[in-house]
Amino acid sequence: MTTCLEFRRRVGAEPFAADAAIDAHRRECAPCARHQDELRAMDGLIRQALKVNPPARESAAAPASPRAWRPRFFAVAASLAAGVAVALIVLVASPRAAIAREVVNHVLHEPDATGATASLPPAAIAAVLDPSGMRLRDGVAGSVSFAARCVVDGQVVPHLVVQRPEGPVTVLVLAHRSVARPVRFSRQGYAGVVLPAPRGAIAVVGQDVADLDAVAREVFAAVEWGK
Amino acid sequence: MNGGDGETDRRRRFGELCESLRPDLLRFAWWLGRDRGVAEDVVQESMLRAWKSLDALADERKAKAWLLTIVRREFARSFEKKRLELSDVDALVAAESAILAAPEDERVAEMREAIFRLDAEYREPLVLQVLMGYSTQEIAGMMGMQQGAVLTRLFRARARLRQQLGLAPEREP
Repeated sequence: MTTCLEFRRRVGAEPFAADAAIDAHRRECAPCARHQDELRAMDGLIRQALKVNPPARESAAAPASPRAWRPRFFAVAASLAAGVAVALIVLVASPRAAIAREVVNHVLHEPDATGATASLPPAAIAAVLDPSGMRLRDGVAGSVSFAARCVVDGQVVPHLVVQRPEGPVTVLVLAHRSVARPVRFSRQGYAGVVLPAPRGAIAVVGQDVADLDAVAREVFAAVEWGK
Repeated sequence: MNGGDGETDRRRRFGELCESLRPDLLRFAWWLGRDRGVAEDVVQESMLRAWKSLDALADERKAKAWLLTIVRREFARSFEKKRLELSDVDALVAAESAILAAPEDERVAEMREAIFRLDAEYREPLVLQVLMGYSTQEIAGMMGMQQGAVLTRLFRARARLRQQLGLAPEREP
């Protein structure tokens, strides 16, 4: 009789493991079966990710003749430019881009959230933050004019709009996301920063907000994360 | 005369072997060292070593595992210390950005960088299992470890990837 823990240990190391014990547990336990399916899907992505194009360095051979030098110079320049372009694409792509896309898409999805300016009562803010085990210190970061629990990337997250002298800023608490260091982005007219938080990450987004980093730090300091 | 033909045939087979396996060897070396220059040098040196000890390869069907073992030994011998000096993974990510890019699919790029950031102890068995297709028992043999230790590393590798990608955490065994 395989327990859920034994099953998950096994498929966590070998997602495609299949024997009588694994099959029997899959039939009895739907959550574990789903978990294995997720791991198998993730392995498909891992396989694609590992299959990088074999790395190869450019030949360092000298040009064969002065005539050959000029085209080669332009070829090298073009290759350097392409390299810079690829590097720029990568800076915008991968985890940073995924978070930026999630956050900005959600802000665009709720245009009315930044329209209200009246301060919400503390109870309304607490109703949004309490389920996530958090609270906002009074008056530290500005008045909160919008508070809701929203779905971002399939997860329910607290969404606040804080009125600041610099203009309204949107705050999303992304407990399902983790970043190792601050991630700054600019997308579709919005500038944002995602900071590592005790649980996941916190995104602060605004339009034409001067010194967004300082605002984000203040907002971050205003949150009590609880346990 | 027969000896000469035998040598020619041996050279030809070795050449074909290296040609067909070179992309996988380069990928493996790159995932070990996370540096294209190191990968090229390791594979080049490994080919030379393999040619010198070709007689040790009793079964050509096992050539890939044999060559991968030579690559990992060569990497450990020549480059591991050098790479440890460059421990800033952000700098490595920037330096290898051209290879990490996967413009066709953002999820692949995200996963690629997450794997790139894994510690070597988790990255290596994952590459051998998922990319090279070896069983945990075979990986244990190649890495000189117990199978249980390989299973633990693979479990933790996936748990760390899930964590890096912001997915629900998995309980450690």
